Amino acid sequence: MTIRDQYMNELEGLLMKVPEQVRKEWLYDYYIHFQQAHENGQTEEEAARELGDPRLIAGELLLGYRVDQAESNNSFSKLSRAVFATVSLGLFNIIFILGPYLALAAVLLALWAVAVAVGLAGVGIVIESLWNGTFNIAQALTLGLISCSITILLIIGLNALTKAFFKMTLKYLKFNTRIVRGNQK
Amino acid sequence: MNIQFKKGVLEICVLVLATRGDRYGYELAVKISEKFEVAVGSVYPLLNRLTQDGYFSTYLKESTEGPPRKYYHLTAEGWNHMRMLIAEWKDFTNAVNEIVEEGLKP
Repeated sequence: MTIRDQYMNELEGLLMKVPEQVRKEWLYDYYIHFQQAHENGQTEEEAARELGDPRLIAGELLLGYRVDQAESNNSFSKLSRAVFATVSLGLFNIIFILGPYLALAAVLLALWAVAVAVGLAGVGIVIESLWNGTFNIAQALTLGLISCSITILLIIGLNALTKAFFKMTLKYLKFNTRIVRGNQK
Repeated sequence: MNIQFKKGVLEICVLVLATRGDRYGYELAVKISEKFEVAVGSVYPLLNRLTQDGYFSTYLKESTEGPPRKYYHLTAEGWNHMRMLIAEWKDFTNAVNEIVEEGLKP
């Protein structure tokens, strides 16, 4: 196996997680690069050394892809993947990205839980009162209505907050990528 | 030179290099790495990102020898983006120069 094949295989192996079409397109750049280096009289070894560590290249390619994916469809798992792709680029990112991200995500999750709990409590009061007569019907309905309203308000607020969280995270990831986009030569 | 600093200006350079006609990836990668000590391989992810952002459009063109090359064309959006980056860069370097000159005055 030639050095070029080794290099290409390693890069391909690192990119197995992305759809074949995207991967093929990425790999083509490097395939052509070897080809052109050869035409310019470079050995495959030189070309491979110049290109740099395949792991770093794969890391950078994956990061761009993940951020893009998270942007085009707002799913929590996609966003998390983008965050982790960034984190894998260096220790700096563990501190400055993963920490804040997890903390904020936890706060959001807790707030959502509160919203749901308040709503359930309202339903609970009504049911409990019908069953055991803790409150009379009017009181129970009032309390139920109040807690339901609170829940609805919370959900509206949280919805906006969660969207903002998505947007900010992506923006920060991009900004961070520009600064850290790290390959150490 | 500081790596992170270098990375930030790489984007400007790639964009500027494509102003005088379309370039293929290898050309850009080699040109950049001649001037800066960067791994040639990391120019391609950058080109990818700029293409995704709409600053470059790409097309394949046959070459006399070997497989077709991928050319990068600077879009109108790319031009605007580049001008903005250059303006920022000038402001930044002017500020640094002023401070340096002030500081080194006898």
